Amino acid sequence: MNRRAFLWQIGGGFGGLAMTHLLSTDVEATPRPEFNGGLHHPAKVKRIIQLFMTGGVSPMDTYDYKPVLEKLHGQELGPKEKPEGFTAAPGAIMKSPFSFKQHGESGRWVSSVFPHQAKWVDEMAFLMAMASKTNVHGPGTYMMNSGSLLPGFPCLGAWVSYGLGNLTDNLPTFVVMPDAKGLPYNQRGPFSAGFLPAVHQGTVIKTHTTNTVPDLFPHERFKFANPQADQEGLALLRSMNEVHAADRTEDARLASRIRSYELAAKMQLSAPEAFDLTRETQKTHKAYGLDNPVTEDFGRRCLLARRLCERGTRFVQVWSGPQGATGNWDNHASIPKELPPIAESVDKPIASLIEDLKSRGLFEDTLLIWTTEFGRTPFAQGGDGRDHNGGTFVTWLAGAGIKAGTSYGKSDDWGYKTAEGTTWCFDLHATILHLLGIDHEQLTFRQNGIDRRLTDVHGHVVQEILA
Amino acid sequence: MQRGPYPSATIAAIGIAVSCAITVTSKAADDNFFQDKVEPLLQEKCLTCHSHSDRQMEGGLTLDSRAGWATGGDRGPAIVPGDLVASLLIQAIRYEDPDLQMPPEEKLSDEEIAILVQWVQDGANDPRTITPLSHQPTDWWSLKKLSVPDVPGEGHPIDAFIDRELANKNLRANQSADRVTLIRRLYIDLHGFLPTPEEVRTFVDDSNPTAYASLIDRLLASPRYGERWARHWLDVVHFADTHGCEHDDKRDYAWRYRDYVIDRLNADVTWGQFIREQLAPDVFYPESPQHMAGLGFVAAGPLELSRAQTAPVSFDYLDRDDMVTQTMAAFTSTTANCARCHSHKFDPISQEDYYALQAVFAGIGKGDIEFDSSAEVMQRRQDLERLVSAADALNADVLLQPKYENLVRQWTADQPSRRITWQTLSPDVFVSTGGATLTKQEDGSILASGALPDQENYTVTSEIPLERLSALRLEVFPDESLPKNGPGRAENGNLHLSEVALQWFSKGGDAPTALAIRQASADFNQEGWTAGQAIDGDQRSGWAIFPNVGHSHHIVFELETPIDVTHGGSLAVTLKQLNPPKHIIGRFRLSVTDAEGASAQTLPADVIAGLEKPSERRTRLEATAIAAFALREYAQQQLVVLPPKEIVYAVSSSWSHAKKLPSPQQPKVVHLLRRGAFDKPVREVGPGALSAIDWLPGRFEIPNPNQESQRRAALADWLSNHDNPLTWRSIVNRVWHYHFGRGLCDTPNDFGRMGSEPTHPELLDWLAVWFRDEADGSLKQLHRLILTSQTWQQSSRIRPNATAAVLAKEAANPNHRTLDEENRLLWRMHRQRMDADVFRDSVLRVTGRLDLTTGGPGIEQFTKEKGPQTTPEIDYSAYDWQSPGASRRSIYRVVWRGIPDPFMEALDFPDLGLLAPKRGHSVSALQSLSVFNNDFVLHSSQWFARRVAQEHDEVEAQVSRAVALAWLRTPSAREQIAFTDYTRKYGLAAFCRTLLNSNEFLFVD
Repeated sequence: MNRRAFLWQIGGGFGGLAMTHLLSTDVEATPRPEFNGGLHHPAKVKRIIQLFMTGGVSPMDTYDYKPVLEKLHGQELGPKEKPEGFTAAPGAIMKSPFSFKQHGESGRWVSSVFPHQAKWVDEMAFLMAMASKTNVHGPGTYMMNSGSLLPGFPCLGAWVSYGLGNLTDNLPTFVVMPDAKGLPYNQRGPFSAGFLPAVHQGTVIKTHTTNTVPDLFPHERFKFANPQADQEGLALLRSMNEVHAADRTEDARLASRIRSYELAAKMQLSAPEAFDLTRETQKTHKAYGLDNPVTEDFGRRCLLARRLCERGTRFVQVWSGPQGATGNWDNHASIPKELPPIAESVDKPIASLIEDLKSRGLFEDTLLIWTTEFGRTPFAQGGDGRDHNGGTFVTWLAGAGIKAGTSYGKSDDWGYKTAEGTTWCFDLHATILHLLGIDHEQLTFRQNGIDRRLTDVHGHVVQEILA
Repeated sequence: MQRGPYPSATIAAIGIAVSCAITVTSKAADDNFFQDKVEPLLQEKCLTCHSHSDRQMEGGLTLDSRAGWATGGDRGPAIVPGDLVASLLIQAIRYEDPDLQMPPEEKLSDEEIAILVQWVQDGANDPRTITPLSHQPTDWWSLKKLSVPDVPGEGHPIDAFIDRELANKNLRANQSADRVTLIRRLYIDLHGFLPTPEEVRTFVDDSNPTAYASLIDRLLASPRYGERWARHWLDVVHFADTHGCEHDDKRDYAWRYRDYVIDRLNADVTWGQFIREQLAPDVFYPESPQHMAGLGFVAAGPLELSRAQTAPVSFDYLDRDDMVTQTMAAFTSTTANCARCHSHKFDPISQEDYYALQAVFAGIGKGDIEFDSSAEVMQRRQDLERLVSAADALNADVLLQPKYENLVRQWTADQPSRRITWQTLSPDVFVSTGGATLTKQEDGSILASGALPDQENYTVTSEIPLERLSALRLEVFPDESLPKNGPGRAENGNLHLSEVALQWFSKGGDAPTALAIRQASADFNQEGWTAGQAIDGDQRSGWAIFPNVGHSHHIVFELETPIDVTHGGSLAVTLKQLNPPKHIIGRFRLSVTDAEGASAQTLPADVIAGLEKPSERRTRLEATAIAAFALREYAQQQLVVLPPKEIVYAVSSSWSHAKKLPSPQQPKVVHLLRRGAFDKPVREVGPGALSAIDWLPGRFEIPNPNQESQRRAALADWLSNHDNPLTWRSIVNRVWHYHFGRGLCDTPNDFGRMGSEPTHPELLDWLAVWFRDEADGSLKQLHRLILTSQTWQQSSRIRPNATAAVLAKEAANPNHRTLDEENRLLWRMHRQRMDADVFRDSVLRVTGRLDLTTGGPGIEQFTKEKGPQTTPEIDYSAYDWQSPGASRRSIYRVVWRGIPDPFMEALDFPDLGLLAPKRGHSVSALQSLSVFNNDFVLHSSQWFARRVAQEHDEVEAQVSRAVALAWLRTPSAREQIAFTDYTRKYGLAAFCRTLLNSNEFLFVD
């Protein structure tokens, strides 16, 4: 009998249920050693860093080179009526204001806004024809995170935590680092565990404050909660709980709670070190752009992501840009004015992250994902901005299990819609789960009578980008 | 959903080479062909992934029934009989589209392809009759009519049903819990927090056999009951104080619905009425306007404001989707929303039913609605408003009624003393900042000419020819020199007075004094531009007179406090005219008075004429005019002092896309959408509910379908129908769930085939019928019935009296429990963990700080700063726990849907983006960190310690008292020593903190 089955048996009703959830964050949870920690087949990836560009990155100004736009520039060829989810009626076709060049052996076209990432295109696999069901930020952000247009559904990180649990007791399993300027669209909705148990929620780290991990330590104003009192207090608590559990031995939850305080104490010991960037060299700080106000915030969070992954955090999500109309990728007003600064803020940190992950051997079992909620129109908005467009956009993946230097799918000549190899969030999620050794159809949770999946009733693994 | 926005380009190129071997065949031959050739092929190659039985439904497509392939999956119908080109199945098996190749593993042989091609070409005859839905769709426990089973035995009916099932399994009910456990359990169940040691003592010492029953009665009669049980309902309907989603703005009046639920549960409203009040109070209870707050139910869920603005069609369908989902889940435990894209895969809910439910809500939008707080106030308001209308219409029949005679006589008598004399100012200085030329006229007015700037400030300075100054009047006059004769300089003769500022320069004084204005009134107000806006401090708003141009008007400003001007000085009046551009005053005059109660009201000529005569000599016209004037003034004064209308965030036909409409909308047309796609309307659908329950009306007959309230009323009738099998089962199961921690059916929001089946179906039916008929829908009676059962009073302990050693042995060899490990048959009570709200309220109660103030706007237990968009940045950790309201019950917290309190979340407070019929009960290191270190718990530890220290001086006694409050028992000798020892070393607060973290505190035996 495996441990989970045993606990089910002695759990008695709720005890069993609760224990399952606890175990999913336990080192002894269901991931199978013969599958390299996967659930259903061998895993290539153990941990994930996801970089999410808030606002909708313009594909034709970054990674999706569209020479046709240069010929059609200025012509009114778009829809005459405002499509659902556009914020305005489309203007004339607009070429990219940036120059494109081919890079690497793969010959990937990259615009001048990403000079640093361009050096690493041979490490990346591009999904060139991603599509979204919506042109509205909130639903689009939900969709790329949870597969649903509606609130309340668990995000990818929560599903991974639910499916695989943690790699270490020392750190939270699923960590989210929002932009210092604010939360993304839907506030904390995109990191919600939805109907999954609360333990799978993203732990939101405020890297720009002193109180990085919430409630890791008591606030210093509480003098009675000093380290000595805490240590002996936890021992006292343990003995209280053991006395209480002694004649309730059938209830596994009681033992779980006893253990949870031990895990909490371990986390207190380890987390501060993990978040302490002074332990990194000046050279590393510089490489991630911590010496430059433009790249400092995103760079710090990339560096933290690497440190957390190194120490066993399963899923780290780093956001670029807050919700709203400025300081993110939602460049309605002017592509030439608004895109370069936000692109610059992430470009060098991302390139350094790739280099760092590679040089430390973390690419052997870490997956790096760069994505956004949707693309932008090939039509101008209000001069030289671009409007929302779920028709086609770009995502890239790099690292473990990825066929480096490849791409899959194509947008049409304008970059308005996908032309071939359309990839939905379901396919992306299925592919990510696949790399983690999870069959996306088998990772389910019964909620209100429905066996919910991250991929709903959809999802195809994109084999073309897998090594 | 479709896989790609473009239809595949390859479709046109194929399908020409079609075999037409058999064009006309008999039905029998077709059936044979299907059974011999087609069905085995489908079975072998397709159904593994595309059938209901495997619950696979790859891409949403099922091929195990005609309905399955005709409806199709993500991409639409898989087969169009006789049309090879349009049949995606054919396209897929031919591997024509690289994105659509089926079966994915290996292409079918040419022979097999030919079979399917022929079948489709010939009309796709599909004789299969047994499908999950067509096979007696209502043959499912929850859809059957309620049965009235006999109670199997004597005694308490619940125990009789439970004991019978236990006996069938050779199990026995557990013994009763001890009295301390029982009262603790009961308090948490009914009030949501711990009892005090004193309350426990009273109960334990009460040897009266009715003590337990009276305790239940007492707890049910307390307002704390409604607060506890309202929280359950608010979870079920995913109520929060903000929209959620991108623009997660606060709904300032959502709390009124929360209070409504608390009040109605405390009042023990019958379940049928509760349903009606929450769906159509306007139709069912027009005489009880306060029930309008119940409509907050329909608006409880999230709102995608951004979608409302930029994607209105999808917004309408998805906003209504949330209403349908919530209403059907909450009242009937049905997942109607599963039929949005296709007919329900498991339950008899057609796609048509789903859109019929959408049509119920097609005439409303979410927003703030107003209602009167009581029938009396509403009646009074209506009467007064009628009186104003009668005055406006000079309706003599109403106005000259004897009942008003006294009012009119009194007003007439008061007139001479109310006459106000105005003293025209003769200003010495008058300037224009905009560069206009101002010229003084013979009548003392000032005429503007020359430059016409966008914005203008006139400042006029004058001495006051009175001893006292109480009000100022601004008159504006027409003039031939002005556009449309004025009195404004705007092209249409209008003017906008944005703000008025008054400053008094006393003679010899240094600095001027700003004079505050109490109120402003005008003889005429443009709609939306009223006198009050000239003194509201907002420079964008102001007073205007369009379309009533070409006439004189005046506006009167009454000072907050009249000033003494005997010693001389001068008044500077600044008239700011800022917005919109060029709406500048053309000709004006200022005058002042020393009279009290000045207003802009002027008496019409016939009133003045009438007043000059003795009453018996007035004409009927004059008498009517006087009465109209007097009664209008009276009614308006009375309206002002009536209790203001209350506001609730709810729904009404006057709202659409989160915007208030100038007039109520007609219900929008609802279409059945193919595959749920907003751009693929199939046909119009009228309001209705589930058609499978054939003894209830599945489609509503509504005489006037444009009267949207009738749609809601019809649904409320359908739901609360005596013979609706779902409604009564749903609510008794929910109540059972909250009492036991698990429902008789363990999926309280889903009684369908994907949900659980009840462990005790007969008991569930018996309870449903008893609740409906015997208890008349009273929840309190249902609580009493359940709580007085032995089943509920059982101990949760496996062997309450066994020693630890015996239990350990049994745990290793749990033979007696293998019969029912999960305790589904209730041979003992489930042990429950406190939920987030119970934990928080119980902590506050032991600290002695629980604030039992009821109702009102929610308490924000966080700090707010400006965020990147309209949603503020919220910081729970910066909250000042000394703020007023910090210790209110948890239900009064403001729940920010998209930014919930991390502490409450750690204890499984649900994500209210979704319906939450059950609370989770997770355990994790992060949760323990929260309970150990969160500010709330640490403050509470200090408060707890302070309270105990105030009650006792000795450390031993303090420890003992703290244990009594938290655990409701005295510490053992060993505990007393260990606890005292720790407390001496680290202080009482540190010890209290461990108590609040303990399992003995957190779990409910």
